[in-house]
Amino acid sequence: MARRALLRAGGAGLLGLSWPQILRAQEQAAKEQKPSLPAKAKSVVFLYQFGGPSHVDMFDMKPDAPDGVCSRFDQISTSLPGLEICDQLPETAKVMDKVTLVRTVYHTMKNHNSASYYALTGHAPPLDDIRLRDSVELFPAYGSVVDRLAPLAGSMPTFVAYPYVIRDGAITPGQHASFLGKKHDPFLITEDPNSSSFKLPELSLPANLSAERLDKRREIQKLINRQTEAAEQTATAAGLDAYYDRTLAMLSSPAVRNAFDLSAEPDGVRRKYGRTTYGQGCLLARRLVEAGVKFVNVYFSSNIGGQSTSDGGWDTHGFNNTFMYPILKARHLPLTEHTLPVFLNDLDERGLLETTLVVWMGEFGRTPKLNSQTSRDHWPQCYTVLLAGGGVKRGYVHGRSDRQGAFPDRDGVPIEDLSATMFALLGIDPATELLDRLNRPLPISSGRAVAGVMA
Amino acid sequence: MRRIDIKSPAIAPPQRVRDRLLVAIVLVHLVSPPAGAADRPETNVSFRNDVMAVLSKAGCNMGVCHGNKFGKGGFKLSLRGENPNWDFSVLSRDLNGRRVNPLEPDASLMLLKATMQVPHEGSRRFKIKSQEYDILRHWIASDTPSDTPETPALKELVVAPRDVVLVEPVDQVQLAVEAVFADGSRRDVKGLAVYDPSNQLAEVGHDGLVQRHGVGTTTVIVRYLGRQAPVRVAFVPARPDFVWRGPAPANFIDEFVFARLKELRINPSLSASDTVFLRRAFLDLLGILPTADEARQFVNDARSDKRARLIDELLERPEFADAWALKWSDLLRVEEKTLDRKGVQNFHAWIRGSIARDKPLDQFARELIAARGSTYRDPAANFYRAMREPFMRAESTAQVFLGVRLQCSKCHNHPFDRWTQDDYYNWANLFARVDYRVVENRRRDTNDSHEFDGEQIVVMAREGDVKDPRTDKPAAARFLGHDTVNLPSDSDRLLALSEWLASSSNKLFVETLANRIWYHLLGQGIVDPIDDFRATNPPVNPQLLEALSGELVSHNFSLRHLVRTIMNSQVYQLSSVANDTNRDDEVHFSRAKAQMLPAEQRADAMAQVTGVSLKFAGYPEGLRAGELPGVAAVRDRDRESRPTLADVFLQEFGKPPRLQSCECERSSEPTLSQTLRSVSGPFVADLLRRRDNRLQKLIDSGRPTYELIDDLYWVALSRAATPEERQASAAHVDSQSDRRPGLEDVLWALMNSKEFLFRR
Repeated sequence: MARRALLRAGGAGLLGLSWPQILRAQEQAAKEQKPSLPAKAKSVVFLYQFGGPSHVDMFDMKPDAPDGVCSRFDQISTSLPGLEICDQLPETAKVMDKVTLVRTVYHTMKNHNSASYYALTGHAPPLDDIRLRDSVELFPAYGSVVDRLAPLAGSMPTFVAYPYVIRDGAITPGQHASFLGKKHDPFLITEDPNSSSFKLPELSLPANLSAERLDKRREIQKLINRQTEAAEQTATAAGLDAYYDRTLAMLSSPAVRNAFDLSAEPDGVRRKYGRTTYGQGCLLARRLVEAGVKFVNVYFSSNIGGQSTSDGGWDTHGFNNTFMYPILKARHLPLTEHTLPVFLNDLDERGLLETTLVVWMGEFGRTPKLNSQTSRDHWPQCYTVLLAGGGVKRGYVHGRSDRQGAFPDRDGVPIEDLSATMFALLGIDPATELLDRLNRPLPISSGRAVAGVMA
Repeated sequence: MRRIDIKSPAIAPPQRVRDRLLVAIVLVHLVSPPAGAADRPETNVSFRNDVMAVLSKAGCNMGVCHGNKFGKGGFKLSLRGENPNWDFSVLSRDLNGRRVNPLEPDASLMLLKATMQVPHEGSRRFKIKSQEYDILRHWIASDTPSDTPETPALKELVVAPRDVVLVEPVDQVQLAVEAVFADGSRRDVKGLAVYDPSNQLAEVGHDGLVQRHGVGTTTVIVRYLGRQAPVRVAFVPARPDFVWRGPAPANFIDEFVFARLKELRINPSLSASDTVFLRRAFLDLLGILPTADEARQFVNDARSDKRARLIDELLERPEFADAWALKWSDLLRVEEKTLDRKGVQNFHAWIRGSIARDKPLDQFARELIAARGSTYRDPAANFYRAMREPFMRAESTAQVFLGVRLQCSKCHNHPFDRWTQDDYYNWANLFARVDYRVVENRRRDTNDSHEFDGEQIVVMAREGDVKDPRTDKPAAARFLGHDTVNLPSDSDRLLALSEWLASSSNKLFVETLANRIWYHLLGQGIVDPIDDFRATNPPVNPQLLEALSGELVSHNFSLRHLVRTIMNSQVYQLSSVANDTNRDDEVHFSRAKAQMLPAEQRADAMAQVTGVSLKFAGYPEGLRAGELPGVAAVRDRDRESRPTLADVFLQEFGKPPRLQSCECERSSEPTLSQTLRSVSGPFVADLLRRRDNRLQKLIDSGRPTYELIDDLYWVALSRAATPEERQASAAHVDSQSDRRPGLEDVLWALMNSKEFLFRR
């Protein structure tokens, strides 16, 4: 019946109701929407590797491939018998018995923004546009969909994203609620969690504004509102009151501030995660998951990078006489090595991994063939995504790529299926429909959940 | 001859096909019960007319069920039955032979599943021996025949009543639904039609009995095969003591609205107070608040025609052109990245100038649609500069000027409207020959194909067509909904289109304009959403829409005239406070609609009240948010200048990026992060704390606190403080040695009050 209710909400929009009415109808539908699948994951941590990590140099190495294809790194064995990964990742190798590697994710978008939009929403962009423009026609971020269909009660936000708004020339689409409306946007933090003064400006009062003073303001505000109470019957007006209450609760609630307070972590733990923006971001993700947050987007970098050992993402083309191998070796692989396994182990030791799905992925892999700079270019035709926890098999490799890691050889996984898998693990039917701004009913995922990766 | 698989172990597979057929025929006669088939001869089950209807009726082909892209449980039907050929082959060429079993029809999986005799994720869809069951069963038992050429196609769906008012104690109405076929035959299909009510006020039974669940209006879409018809049903409480208490009509608008309200036994709200009317008029016409002096003056004015006078005065103020240029600029994509800053300035100035001079709106539309030339010297050409490909131009033009959303019909025939894919591509082809001569492009990001900086000449190519992807051939060039004209290949298509479209004889065009203006003043369209005109979304008051359209045409498409007419109606001037009879009404204009101020109005109101001027990056200080020609002159990646707090505020509070031609792009809903910004954010804090703001001047005046409080209330809310407010506010201010922080608190409270934040 929930499905029909959603459809009916669709009809309502088409029949000339006002927006608040439609929203109310949607709200109603959302309430009726009972998860049709058992939820195995309570939370998702989406570790987004902007720029596109090289699958053939990390998790899908091809030692028998010819020169010019074969990685310059060696391989090491891992805790999963028979699986070997890059020798630069010995600690990561030790947690391979806890994860599922999907080696055959594929799509067709070759530009960062269009491919990232695909990866962040599970929906194909209208065109493979290097500067794909963000607009309300595009699909919302996964977290916004979750906030719409299965929001958290209480004062914690459902969807948190940090520490950047990622962009490649233009803001990368797929990071916010788009047609679902701003109220489903992520709680966005652009402060550096590694900074000693890390705190959330939104959750901190300006210096001259004490809590008492704020209460006083609210008191006078309520007095004014009482004068015209009869006029304020609209849902929007009532909703506004709720927002003020929630805002003040967040500003005064220790629970919320505590979740974001990294200084509450022992120094040892903070060091273990690495005093890097990304490392502390992963630590923050663990705290947020503990506080119940349902979807956390952690961005590895603000830009595609690839030309520096101190900054940026995975886009290691070798441009301007920068070379992929030294950069990977100096920056990306050590950063991954000091963070990902620590994070997975910490979740596991705290019993959180069972109910937390960790997704480690970029927008594409990299060309099996080395280019003239001994570096690699964009390759969406086949690449590796790492999944862990939240109902996914421990110690499993799904799919096989061909001899060069160029195309799926067996069990190809279209990127849409990855999104369906994620929703299914969260207990949300991937066929659930949402209305866009033109009131068209659109399924949240056009893929099918991959049964093979599920525990 | 088709192969029949017999999987049922009860029947031994005969040796030859011929034998099998024989068995099949015999079995049909043996197992087909005559019951349930009495009203329909067995031979008459048509796949297209009967089986397809059942698949829709039972909901099998919904998007969340087997109509899903991948189907469900390995069984896929076309979405909402849009492709009967597909469905036929899926059902008749069932490879494993379990889904349909002609030899033992009742054992067909599709019947067992749908009746929940075996587990079905989609629950029970119909009962054994129901009409649905019988139709499917007969079709299966007859060996899943396809339709013969003689099978008549559906020609028309006749539904009655179409518009009905049910007064308590009557709480239900039976719909009559008749299908008319090409051969002239008619059939009662109320048991096979699908009924979708627009809201939860009604429930429709299996056979079209509409049952009341609440008070108000609902529209039931009746669907059978490819046809649909809307039925409007109003449920009216008895209200035996109902006495009409509405004011005397001021003009035709009131006549039409009140007539409908009387029918529904709804009394309109009282007329709004002077203060409320004044603020409403200022915000709707100018996008700003009245000053304290203007407010005092108006409230104290004793003349009986002061509202009409105010409307006339405001219509002549320059801010009127600003406010309505902003609305059009949102729709026409006046945005810096594609038009560049000079293009934005020029295009906006052209739009604003058109409104300032009251250029007839049909001429305005014609100039845009026929636009060409330099985007710097012929500013209307930016209409096409902003839309780089034919589909975007086609969809936007239809949406803005005809109120039609064609997007659906790009990929499939529109599910809720008459538009087909043919219509879509023939319409898009009108826009195929727009081309650009790029005189110069100084874009900074050479990878960004959307960025242009420099003059362009919009030209009309002599040839070129949009291809219909289904045939890979050039589409025809046709006006939307106007099948007779196929423009000759060498004609100037957009010139011809501009004449056809923006004409007083184009009903859709005139109604869309009238409805758009109405929407901007009443907060809700007569057709709503305002760019979604279609048979299944009828106007809530057709006579009113017609009359407004007539008024627009008879007054030479004057925006000012229609605005003046609407604002002088009693309906526009109603209060937003509900009474006992109109509490549940949100669509018949029985009370004013309270709405949050849009981003620009909110920023300008706060600046006005705090007495400071805003600064937007790239513009001189003092330019109001409502005067900004574009979206943002400076992007946050630019190095020479950063977006200001005011720029960020507008974005956060929902100023649209202008990448769509839809009002829906503007986000008007409150969000948590907006509230956080209002409580603890830097923009509001800065306005309150600046040393040069209104508070400092008030303090420096040395007047007593209660006077300062009164001033602030007049400035922010256009009224005096009530005694309670005055007392509490003054007490708070005077409780501290320095009056400043206390006054800041009072002003914060004023600017966060609903009275301030809502246009009511």
